[in-house]
Formats: sequence, structure tokens, C-alpha cells
Amino acid sequence: MKANLVMTKELVVCHPDQTVLEVLKVLRERSFHVLPVVDENNKLLGAVNMLSMLSKLVPEYILNGYLKSIPYAPDMGVLRKHYKEIIDHKVVDIMEKNPTVVGENESLLSVTAALISFDRFEYAFVVDKDHALIGIVAASDIVRALSQLDPEVLFDA
Amino acid sequence: MHDSVNHVIFGLDPTWVAVSILLVVYAVIMAEKFNRAVLSLLGAGMMILCGVLTQQQAVAGIDFNTIGLLTGMMVIVAISQKTGMFQYVAIKSAKIVKGDPWGILVMLSVVTAVFSAFLDNVTTVLLIAPVTLLITDALDIKPYPFLFAQILSSNIGGTATLIGDPPNIMIGSAANLSFYQFLVNLAPITPLIMLVTMVAIWFMFGKGLHATDEAKALVMQFNEDDAIEDVPLMKKSLLVLFLVISGFTVAHSFHLEPASIAMFGAALLLLLQTWGQPLHDKDHAYEGIMAEVEWTTIFFFVGLFIVVTGVEHTGVIEMLAHKTLELTGGDFNATAGAILWVSAIASALIDNIPFVATMIPLIESMAPTFGSADALVPLWWALALGACLGGNGSLIGASANLIVAGFAQRAGHPIMFLQFMKHAFLLMLMSIAIAHTYLYLRYLS
Repeated sequence: MKANLVMTKELVVCHPDQTVLEVLKVLRERSFHVLPVVDENNKLLGAVNMLSMLSKLVPEYILNGYLKSIPYAPDMGVLRKHYKEIIDHKVVDIMEKNPTVVGENESLLSVTAALISFDRFEYAFVVDKDHALIGIVAASDIVRALSQLDPEVLFDA
Repeated sequence: MHDSVNHVIFGLDPTWVAVSILLVVYAVIMAEKFNRAVLSLLGAGMMILCGVLTQQQAVAGIDFNTIGLLTGMMVIVAISQKTGMFQYVAIKSAKIVKGDPWGILVMLSVVTAVFSAFLDNVTTVLLIAPVTLLITDALDIKPYPFLFAQILSSNIGGTATLIGDPPNIMIGSAANLSFYQFLVNLAPITPLIMLVTMVAIWFMFGKGLHATDEAKALVMQFNEDDAIEDVPLMKKSLLVLFLVISGFTVAHSFHLEPASIAMFGAALLLLLQTWGQPLHDKDHAYEGIMAEVEWTTIFFFVGLFIVVTGVEHTGVIEMLAHKTLELTGGDFNATAGAILWVSAIASALIDNIPFVATMIPLIESMAPTFGSADALVPLWWALALGACLGGNGSLIGASANLIVAGFAQRAGHPIMFLQFMKHAFLLMLMSIAIAHTYLYLRYLS
């Protein structure tokens, strides 16, 4: 079975010059976990989710030093201060630039391996040879395909 | 040693080949465009491929006491920093002074100096700088004075002991000076240098440090007890740190080298760390710790020792030593002073590790002039003081400086090269003047 048989094709996307606030609204109102960021030619530039926004709120010296966890520190208003700053930024500033990308003819095995090895979103973005976005495969799509267990579809004939 | 020079390819003069390799390697290291470990290993390889050294001579040139001591301490620190005990001390020290900004600056500087004396400087600032930024964020105050003081303190503290700074490790190993000798000869002068430096920092920044009562209250909300993440591991780490440092102090009497003690301590802590866990978890933990050892630094040292050995074999360093002695007229006091000041200026501008690696054989070959190897001891203290304290002269003077600058950059308050030098260079010269007076009064007069 190939990626293009399990992927979702009707996609909601966002554009790099939209503000973070606009994108957060879409994510919240439509209960999406992730939005692909594409340019005017539908070329995939990156992806955003709640975590990519939150990761910009925590000071970098906490994330990139010896302070992996800081159970002793109070809130200090840092998150809110940075939140107010970040919502007016453009999506391009906060997006994940290297989301997991797969080809439409890749096998499900390959897509699953790619998701586990590289993913930060539980989603793989399916692109054509021009890197234009044509679909998204979620981890749940793969599980659904497996549970339907149709041998003829599962094994590449 | 001239006779041991091998067949250099193309009939080139081995002296020029060796010196050219050394100069090119040092120049490219200074340009900071390539990884310094890669460069030093390429240089080491060239020394062998060009026939300046055989592989046996190259391997014999590696100071495995330095390598073992560095690696052992890196393993011990990699394990003990996981316990959170260093963060605990930093936060506790900020709360002791009730969140007062100047008090915090002094306390964090003292903590940095003391940690730097017993841990690697880079590790110390990796532990303390992020906590400092958390605290200055809570105080809503610019972090520059705090980080500035921390850089100076880490280099001053590192001067105090054999294991405080890589130059000291190299000097101690090459000159067979013990941990105890370093403690008795270098540690006494560091508190004075620290005090004078803090007074100067007070005049530069002290009056400008203000925080609101709410901000101070926020610092008091930090709960240092929550910093300790693993009490059993902390006890094991403290036990091993205590054993290792005691071991260093008495090592000389038992004819033990510091590397044996550090590596034994590392192995012991690796064993204790995962005591009672299933084998699979143990292996996983060992591999994690091994990955945290800074192999880049270790391989940099390996390559560097070989490059310097190559030049040493050609007799150039001995010749330079004779030239230096001609300049100082063979006068011991003048030679010591020259080593101190030249080391300080050089270490402010270039990496002090290759500098010290080159100076060691140079000073060693002065032994005949001054009678014996024992007569050289004050010169080693001059080199150690110059190379360690000199690191404070500029932002590129020591690796720890650059680490702190990196944190400052990420926190949105970059430390500028010239701004730092304007404040730090004079303070560095002042510390060298104090060191010179100390050397003169104690060893030279």
C-alpha cells in the first residue's frame, strides 16, 4: 500500500506571512493538530502546531543549556510576556522548517519508519516531485489502514 | 633530539616542515572557521605523513596524564551535574542575600570561582550561566554585569588548582607538580585577585543594579530544594568527588598520577550510578555518559601534543628558549616576569591551550641554564598564572568566555567583543600585576 491511498487530500493550509494569532485561531476553532505552511504555488515550506508556538515562549537558555528541567523556578511572567510578543509575528518565524516529508508513491512501511524516525508532529506531509503539498498522512491513518486488513491492498500487487 | 628526525619527504628541511605545519594549524585555529580538533588531528597526521615523526614518536608525545585527567573529570561531572546539586548551590546563594542584585552578583561570582577551581571552567559556566539568566529574568534586570563577573571569576577560580584549568593540568603533568603544590602555591593569591576584581566591578556596575521589591520577592520564590533531582545519586557523586579530591591532595606521596585517580573515580561513579539496575539500563546509562564526554576537546589535545612534539623534535623550541634567555640576559627574575606577561597577553588573544603546549618544552629546555628542573618551579607558576588569568583579557581568551557569550546572545543580550575587552583587559592587567608582585615577594626577591 502506498502513501497516496491513505492520505487526507482535502487540506487546510496557511501561508508564511499570516500572523501567529490568525493561525492559532484556525488550529483552535477547527481542532486541527497541525497546519502545513505553503507558498503561492502550494510548495511546502514548513508546518506549525501548538508546540512550535510554545517552544518560542521558553527562553532559549533554558532549552539549550544544562537546564533541561527547572522544577525550582517560579513562572516569572516570562511565558505571557513572550506570548504577547509572538502573536503578532509571522508564521514563518515560528514554523518547523523540516517536517517529515514523504513521496506519494512511498510504501506505508517507509512512511511509518519516517514518522517514527523524524517526526515532531505525528504527521507526514506527502509532496509531489516539485515539493508541492498533495496530502497528509497521520499516524491514525496508518493504523486505520492496517485494521482494515485487506491483503490485496496491504501488499503491493 | 635532532638525530631522531626521520626521512622528510621531497628532501625538505624537517625543521621548516614541522614549523610550517604548526604555524598553519595555529593560524587556522585562530581564524575559527573549522573545528579545532579536526585541525589539530590533521596537523598531527601531517607531522607523521611528512616524516617529521614516526607513529611511535607521535604516540609517545601524547601526554596521557592530561588526557586521562580531563576525561575522568568530564565523566564525573557529567554524572554529578544530573543531580541538580550545582543549581541548588547557585539558587541557595542568590536567596541568602535576599534577592539583592549586587549580593547575587557577588554570590554567583564566588560560587563560579569555587566550582571553577574544582571543575572544568566550561562546565561550571554551562551550569551557572543559565541559572543566572533565570534569576536576572526574575529580577527584570540586564544580565551583562552578572555574566561579565562570572567570566572573570571562572578564570580566576580556575587558576587556583591543578584541575581548575587545562593549562594547569598540562603544566602539572609536564613538570610533575602535584595537586597539593598547586594548592599551596597558586590558591593563596586567587582570593586577593578575586577581591580586587569584585571591587572594580562594583565601581563599574554596582551602583546601577536595582530591582523592585516584587522582583526580589520573585527570586525568593525559587525553591532550591526542588533543584535536587536525584538524592541517592547526589550522595554517590559527593562521595566520589570527595574521594577524588582527597586522592589528588595525597597522590604525590603514593607516587600516583592525577589521571589514575580521576579515571578510577570516574569508573567508580559509573559503577555506583547504576548499582542495582538491570544490565540493559546500565548499558544505556553508560553510553549516555560516554556521549557527554567532550571528545572534541580530548582529540584536540591528542593532535596538539603530536604537533608540538613534531616541532620539539626539530630543536626549534630549544633554540627559541635560548633566544628568550638571551633577551632576558639569563636573569631568573626577568625570565619569570617575561613568561608571566607574555603568557597573559598571548592567552588573551589566542587559545591558551596550544600556547601552553608550546611553552612547556620551551621552559623545560631552560633547565640547564638555571641549574636543574627543580629551579624552574617559579617559572611554571608564572606560566600558569599568566595563561589562566590572561584568558580574562578578551572574549576569545578562554572557551568559558565564549560559552557565556553564547548564552547572553540567546537571552537577547549579546556581549560585544570590544565592550567586553574595554572592561576586562584592564582588569586582567591588574590581576597580572598582582600576580607579578606575589611571584616576586614569594619566589624571586
